[in-house]
Amino acid sequence: MNRQTFLRPVRIIVSIFFLVGFILIFSDVKAKLPSGISLFFTSFQFLPSILKFPNVPGIISSGFIFIIVLSLFSGRIYCSTFCPLGVLIDALGFLKRKLPVKQKRRKYKKPLNIIRYSILALAIFSLFFTGILAINLLDPYANFGRIASNLYQPVFIVMNNLLSKLFVSMNIYSIQPLVFNVFQALPFYAGLTVFLGIIVMVFFRDRLYCNTICPVGAILGLLSKISFLKIKINNSSCTQCGKCQIACKANCINIKELKVDTSRCVSCFNCISVCEESSIGYKNTWIRKSEIQEKTDTAKRNLIKAGLLFLGINPLLAKAEGEDKEGGHGTKRFSTRGPISPPGSVSIDHLKKNCIGCGLCISVCPSDVLQPAFLEYGFTGMMLPRLDNKIGFCNFECTKCGEVCPTGAILPLTIPEKKLTQMGIVQFRQGLCIVESEGTACGSCSEHCPTQAVYMVPYRDDLTIPEVDPDICVGCGACEHACPVIDPHAAIYVFPHEVHQAAKEPVSEKVEVESTEEFPF
Amino acid sequence: MKRRDFIRRSVTASVATGTLFSMGKWNTLLASGISSELPFDMVAVKNGNPIEMFDMGIAALGGMKNFVKPGQSVVVKPNIGWDSPPERAANTNPELVGQIVKHCIAAGAKKVTVFDRTCDEWTRCYKNSGIEQAVKDNGGQMVTGAIEADYMPVKISKGVTLKETKVHKLILESDVFINVPVLKNHGGAQMSITMKNLMGIVWDRRFYHKNDLHQCIADFATFRNPDLNVVDGYRVMKQNGPRGVSVNDVALMKYLILSADMVAADTAATKVFGIETAMVKHIGIAEGLGVGTTNLESLNIKRISI
Repeated sequence: MNRQTFLRPVRIIVSIFFLVGFILIFSDVKAKLPSGISLFFTSFQFLPSILKFPNVPGIISSGFIFIIVLSLFSGRIYCSTFCPLGVLIDALGFLKRKLPVKQKRRKYKKPLNIIRYSILALAIFSLFFTGILAINLLDPYANFGRIASNLYQPVFIVMNNLLSKLFVSMNIYSIQPLVFNVFQALPFYAGLTVFLGIIVMVFFRDRLYCNTICPVGAILGLLSKISFLKIKINNSSCTQCGKCQIACKANCINIKELKVDTSRCVSCFNCISVCEESSIGYKNTWIRKSEIQEKTDTAKRNLIKAGLLFLGINPLLAKAEGEDKEGGHGTKRFSTRGPISPPGSVSIDHLKKNCIGCGLCISVCPSDVLQPAFLEYGFTGMMLPRLDNKIGFCNFECTKCGEVCPTGAILPLTIPEKKLTQMGIVQFRQGLCIVESEGTACGSCSEHCPTQAVYMVPYRDDLTIPEVDPDICVGCGACEHACPVIDPHAAIYVFPHEVHQAAKEPVSEKVEVESTEEFPF
Repeated sequence: MKRRDFIRRSVTASVATGTLFSMGKWNTLLASGISSELPFDMVAVKNGNPIEMFDMGIAALGGMKNFVKPGQSVVVKPNIGWDSPPERAANTNPELVGQIVKHCIAAGAKKVTVFDRTCDEWTRCYKNSGIEQAVKDNGGQMVTGAIEADYMPVKISKGVTLKETKVHKLILESDVFINVPVLKNHGGAQMSITMKNLMGIVWDRRFYHKNDLHQCIADFATFRNPDLNVVDGYRVMKQNGPRGVSVNDVALMKYLILSADMVAADTAATKVFGIETAMVKHIGIAEGLGVGTTNLESLNIKRISI
C-alpha cells in the first residue's frame, strides 16, 4: 500500500486549486471573468447541481451524478477537494495547529449520529415541504458563499482600492478602484455567524461541521459506506502505533479496534501518508465482501439508500407539479409592492424553490442592483437576490446573474431573451413629477430607459413630460433609479411581477436625413 | 517610534506638497482661459471619417501643439454614458477619441487621462463603447468616474441656481481639458452637445434635474471653459436620445466641429442637427451668462468639406 502515499499531495493540490477558484469567482465584482469559469467550479457542488439539473439539464448541471459515482467508487473525495467549505475548514485546521498553544492529540471520537441524521432528515423535509430555507442554512457551498460574499469581498475591495491608490500615486491607472456599496447588516452578520461558527467547530474537532451538521456530508457518508474503495487497516501488519489516529481530521480511526468509520472519512489521506508500515489505505471492498462485512443492519441501510434516491429525484418531481400563479397588479400602490426578482428567475416562487442564497449572483452583478433580501420575500426568502433600484438598475445588456447561478434559480438567458423579459412594469405618478410640480425640464427617466417605454411628450411652456408604454417595459428600474424625486418615493417606479412576463419588442422607424453639400451655418 | 515619526512626517509633507502642486496648476488653468492665438474661432469639417476629419480640423487650428505643451497633463472627456456599441452613437466615436489622445501624446503630453461619469455600469460602458481600447491603443489611460471621493467641492461664482457642486479632480488637476461630446437628441435637455456633456464631470446630477435642468447646465458652463471642444457629428442619434433604442435612431451625418467656444459649438451643432437653437434653452441662458456667442456670423469659421 506504500504507493498510495501520492494521494495526499494530489488531494492538497486539487483542493487548493478549487479554493483559489472559488475565491476568484467571488472576487469578480465587475463580472470580468467568463461565466464558464464560475460554472466549472460550481458545477461540482452537490446540492446546487441537484437543484439545477431539472432547470437546465445538461452536462454542466450533472455534477451531482459525478459526485455520487465518485463517492460510490472511493468515498467522500468531494469533501476534501471540491467542497470550498471543507477546504476552508482544512485551512483553518492547519492554522489552528500552527497556534503557539499546547494542543490535544486527536483521537477517535464517537459519531454524533443522532444529530447528524436528524439534520439530514430536517434538510430533506425542508426540501419537500417548507421551501429550501433549512437547506440554504446547512448547505456547505451556500455557507461558503455567505462567507465569501459578505466577509471576504469587502476585504478584497479594500485591498484592491489600496493597491489602486498606490498605483495612481505612480501615475498608473491600470487598477481601477471599486465602489464599496451600502453596508447590508443581515448578510454581513449571517456571513460572520457562519464563519465564527466554523472556527468554533474547528477548535473542537476539525471536521465537526462536515460530520455532524452538513447534510451533503451525511449523504455522501452513507454512500461511502457501500463504496468500492474504502480506507481500511491491515490487521496483520498494523502495529497499532496510533499515528493514523492522530493524523485523522475526522476523528474516525479507531486504532484499538482497527476500524475506520467510513461514513465520516473525508478521504484526506493523511493516515496513508503517516503510516510507516503501509498498513492503512484504500482497499477494494466489493469483491471479498464476506471478509469485511460487519454485522450491519442492512434493512436500515436500504431504507437510507431509498431515501437518498428519493432526495435525488425529488426536485424533478417538484418541477413536474407546476406552479403558475398570475400576478397582475398594474394599479397597486408603491407602498404595497413586493420584491423584484432577477431576470431569468421566472417567478418569485421559482426563485424561492431553487435559490440556496450563496450570493454569487449578488457578488458578480456589475451594477450592484442585486442585493440580498431581508424579509421582502418573506421569512423563508432571506438572503435571496432582489433588485434594489435605489442602489442601481439592471443593465439592459447584461445577463451575468443567470449565467453564473449554480442552481438554476436564475435561468441563463441570452441577451435577446433578457431584453424581452419583463420583471415588472413601469408606473408613473405625474403628480410627483418635477416637470409638473416645479415646471422645469427633467426627463431623467426617459433618458435612462433602454426601450423608451418611458418617453417624453410635449407639455405646457415648451416642456416635455414622461409618458409610459408598459408593454415594452422590462422593469429594469433605470427610470426609478434616475428619478430625482425621492419623497415620498420616486415619481416613476417599477411594480414587480410575481411571475415574469414577456415584454413586447420596441419598434422605431429608421431616421432619414437629407444630405446637403452646403454647411448649414 | 523614530521610524514611525519619520514615516508620518514624510507622508504629511508629501500630501502638503501634492496639494500645493495641484493648487498651483489649478490657478494657472483658471488664469489661462481661451487661447487667443488660434487662427479660427471654429473649424467645421464634413464628409470624412472621424480620424481624417479630426486630423484636418486640428491642423486648421494650428495643430495640437496650440493646445498641449510638452510635459502637460491632459484630460479628455468624451460621452461614455451608455453600455452601447459605436454604431448606436450613444457614446462619442471611439476612433475620434483615440485620435485625439494620439495627437496629445504626439504634442508631448506627459499623460492623457480619459473618463466619464457613466449612467450605465461604468466598466461595461468603457469596454463596449470601444473607447477604452482606443484610448489604450493610443497611449492614454482610462480612469473611473464612479468614485465619489474623486470629486472635489467647487464654487460656481457666476451660477444662478447651481452655485456649488463637486467636480472630478482630473478636471481640476489637469493642465489641458478637451471636451468631446457626441451630438445627439435628448429627451430632457432637447440636445446633448458640449455643455450637456459637462454633466459627466460633476457628481450630483440629481440636483440639476430637480432644480431647472437648463439653468444648471448653463450655470456650470461658467465654471471652467474647456480648452477645446470637439463635437462628434459622425453618427448622430436623431431620436430616442440620449440612450437610443436601436440603430434606427442613428443617421450617418459625418460632421465634426472644433471650437473653444461652447455656446458657438452648440449653436453650430444644432444647425447641423436641424433644430432651432432657441429650442435648446441652456444655449441661450449660457450666452446670457457670457459663456460664448450664438452669433456665428461674428466668428471666424473655417469650413472644410472632404
